Formats: sequence, structure tokens, C-alpha cells
Amino acid sequence: MQSPPGLEADVSGMPTSSVAPSEVERPETHEIAVPELPWLVIVWNDPINLMTYVTYVFQKLFGYSRPKAHKLMLDVHYKGRAVVSSGAKERAELDVARLHQHGLWATMEHSG
Amino acid sequence: MIFRRRVRPSRGRGFDIRLAPEERALLATLPLQLVSLLDEVGDKTHDEVPDALRRLVPIAYATDPEAESAFVAMTREDLLEHHRDSLETMSRTAKATWLDEDQLASWMAALNDLRLFLGSMLGATEEETEPPGAHSRPSEWIAYLYLSGLQSELIDLLEGTLPDPVPGADDLVPEDLWGDPPGGLRWDGTPQPEDL
Repeated sequence: MQSPPGLEADVSGMPTSSVAPSEVERPETHEIAVPELPWLVIVWNDPINLMTYVTYVFQKLFGYSRPKAHKLMLDVHYKGRAVVSSGAKERAELDVARLHQHGLWATMEHSG
Repeated sequence: MIFRRRVRPSRGRGFDIRLAPEERALLATLPLQLVSLLDEVGDKTHDEVPDALRRLVPIAYATDPEAESAFVAMTREDLLEHHRDSLETMSRTAKATWLDEDQLASWMAALNDLRLFLGSMLGATEEETEPPGAHSRPSEWIAYLYLSGLQSELIDLLEGTLPDPVPGADDLVPEDLWGDPPGGLRWDGTPQPEDL
């Protein structure tokens, strides 16, 4: 369907105004800061590390409470893996490196 | 028989170590053998490293070889140095009757490195009490069991020395992405225990 000449199409069917309200403030730039999707640090189950050791390392490296560290360890043991931290790439790489120094099987993935 | 703790908090600071000469001899020699093997690792990729040493150099990027290569270039030297330093500290202090906090932390790291190495060599699995190599390598199997016991003792001890949890840290852990395994099964397909 064509619009009659001289009239602008209005998809909403409502009257339109060509005058912007003066009180509306517009951002001065069109750049929007999109936060980077976090990276996930994952610890995988393995048959050698002691369960108590894994719980200990989670408390030591991340400052988690014992119940939280214990729950994460159980997730690793029974579900095969657990996300133990997340953040920007550099932070995730640092966490993975520290987990590797403690002998845990840690990898990182982009959450997107 | 009363279980005698081998490592105890000392009066003041540090830890008293009470071990038999045979135990000290093992802790002096075994770490150095692993140190000499670490020279084989260098900057090799995870797959190029001998099987028994792979657990000491885990992969960070499982599906991105390029990123993994960059990660290895950035971290491998420090990682190997950390392993070497811990193992050499344990060997050097194996006869000590007192250790400070840093030295005991090195013992913990060295015990774990040795267990990862010996466990890999023995073919340790999740389900079997005795790994396949228990009979063909009895010395390594006995050492593995011994180191496991000593490490358990250190974990109990050092867990009590951790600082208080960081307020709010628990809440920063992302939700479990994968949820419970379907059918009440655990990761390897066996039934999940109910007492979680």
C-alpha cells in the first residue's frame, strides 16, 4: 500500500511529530560501552587429586568459604566439571595459571 | 594404636616435622628424580610431553591451539620453575625437624606434583582402588600411597591456617551452567550418590 503524496507513513498509526521534544537529552556520541562477555574458568574431574586437596585449593586461591569450596569440589567430582571463577580474559588466564601451579586440571572458555 | 601426627604446629610459628629416617630418605631423593625429568618438558605442547608428566602441564585452551600456544609461551617457564622450586625445597629440607610456612607450602606442592606423576605412571583411575600399575610397579605404588597419606595430613593442617573467607567471594561464582546430570547419573555414567 502506498502512502498518499506528502504524508509520511506511520507504522504505528499514531500521529507523529517532526519536532523533537527539547527536554530530551541525547548522548553526544554513538559509542556504547558493551561489556566484554566474561571468560569462565572450569576445573575438570581427575582421578589423582585428593578431594580434600581440591577443596583446600579453592579456599586458598579464591577466598571461598569452606561450604562453597566443598560444593564446587563435589560438582567437579560428581558432574565432571565446575565453573570456579569468571572474569575478563587476563583475569581468567591468571586463575588458570594459578590452578595449574596447584596441579588442578583447569581450562577456560568464553561464556559467549 | 594412637595415630601420631607427623607434622604439627610448632610453638610460636612454623611446624614441627617428625618423620622416620626412611621417610626422610624418600622425600630427599624422589623429588630430584622428578626435577630431572622436567627438563624434558621445555615448551613442548601438552600432547608432546611424556604421558606421566602431562598432568604437570595442563591445557588452558582445550579447543583453540593458537591461544593455547600463546598461553604456553606466557606461563610455561613460571609453571616449571614453580614445580622445580617446590620439589628442590622439599628435597633440601627433607631432614629438617622444623619448617616455616613457605617451606611447608612447598612440601604440599611437591607432594601433589609427585602424586600426579606417580599416579599417571601407575594409570590411576577414578573407580579402581588399585591402579593397573600397582603390581608391576610396587615401589611406585607404595610411594604413591605413602605420599597420599602425608599430603592428607598436610591438608588437614594447612586448611586450619587459611585466612577467613573473602566477604562476597562465594557470590561471584557463576551459576552451574550444566545443572545436574540427566537421570541422576554422574559424569562417568554411574549413579549419583544421594547424600550430596
